[in-house]
Amino acid sequence: MNHKLPHMAEIWVYLSGNPLFALVLTLSAYWLGLMLYERSERNPIANPVLIAVLIVASVVGVLDIPYEKYFEGAQFVHFMLGTATVSLAIPIYKSWESLRGRFVVLLLVLVAGGITSVATALVMANVLQLDPALVGGLYAKSVTAPIAMGIAERIQVSPTLTAVYAVVTGVLGAVLGRFVMDALKMRQWWQRGFALGVASHGIGTSRAFSVHPEAGTYASLGMGMHGVLGAVILPYLVNWLRT
Amino acid sequence: MIPGLVKLFLFQAIGELISNFLIPFIPGPVIGLVLLLAFLVIRNSLPSDIDTVGSTILQHLGLLFIPASVGVILYLPILKANAWAVLGTLVVSVIATIAVTGGLLKLIAGERDES
Repeated sequence: MNHKLPHMAEIWVYLSGNPLFALVLTLSAYWLGLMLYERSERNPIANPVLIAVLIVASVVGVLDIPYEKYFEGAQFVHFMLGTATVSLAIPIYKSWESLRGRFVVLLLVLVAGGITSVATALVMANVLQLDPALVGGLYAKSVTAPIAMGIAERIQVSPTLTAVYAVVTGVLGAVLGRFVMDALKMRQWWQRGFALGVASHGIGTSRAFSVHPEAGTYASLGMGMHGVLGAVILPYLVNWLRT
Repeated sequence: MIPGLVKLFLFQAIGELISNFLIPFIPGPVIGLVLLLAFLVIRNSLPSDIDTVGSTILQHLGLLFIPASVGVILYLPILKANAWAVLGTLVVSVIATIAVTGGLLKLIAGERDES
C-alpha cells in the first residue's frame, strides 16, 4: 500500500492546482443542491445555492485548500455574474407593458422597501450588538447578489459577506414571505410577487415563480428595479450614513 | 446560442466602458442592463437568441454566486461568534421589508387586478 502513496499525492497536487478541480467541485455541488431541492419538492429551505456553498466550503475546508486557490479556478463561474446582471433586462422588458401604468406606484413602494431593508438591518445590528466588522455587508443584502457585490466593492465593504447575507436573506424571504403576506391579507399575485422580489431578490423570485407565474414576473421586476436603483442610490446613502 | 452570448457580452462591455470612463459610480453590468433594456424597448421586441441565452443564465443565477459565497470560510470564526445577531438581524429585516413593500403596495393599489 505504502509505495502507492507518493503517487496519489502527486496526482492530488496536480489536481488541486488545476482550475478544473474548483470548477468541477462548484458545478457538481450545485448539481447535487438542485437534486436535493427537487427531491424536497422545492422546499425553499433546501435552497440549492445554500446546499452547494455548504458542500464546497466543507470540501475546501477539509482539504485545506486556500480560498484564493479555489477562487482562481472558480472565477470562470464568478465572471458570468456581470453577464447575468445584463440579462436582468429581459424579465424587466417582458413585464414592460403591464409596468407602464403602475411604474410610479412600484417605484415609490420600492424606495420605501429598500430604505426599510437598510434601516431595519442597521437598527437590529445595533440592538443585537453585531460585531462592527460584520455590519458593512448588510447595506446591499436585499439587492440581487451580482449587483450587490458590485455595490459592495464600490462602498468598500466585503463582497463575500454581502453575497452570504444576500443568499441567507433570499432563503429567509422565500421561507417566511408567505406568512407575512398572508398576515397582511395580500391577495393579488402581482403584489405578493413584487414584495418578494424587492425583499429577497433571485431566491425569492424563483420561489414566486414556483407559486404563480404572475407573481414570478413581478418578482423579477422587483428584483431588477431594486438592483438598478440600489446601484445608483446605495453608495450615496452609505456615504451619507458614514458622515 | 453564440449570437445571443456575443450580444450580451457586447452590452456588458459597453457598460464597463461607460462605467470606467464616464459614470464611475454605477457598476458596468448595471449600465449594460439599462442599455439592453433601452435597446429592447426601442426595438419593441425581444430577439430569441438573447432571450434563450439570457434566460438560461438567469435560471442558474444562484450557481454564479457560489464562488464568492464560499469566501464565508474566511469569516467563519467571527460569524460563529455572532451567529444569533446575524440571523436575528436578517430575519427581522427581511420580514420588515416584505411587510412594508407589500403593505404599502396593497394600500396604494388596493385590490385592483392585474391588467
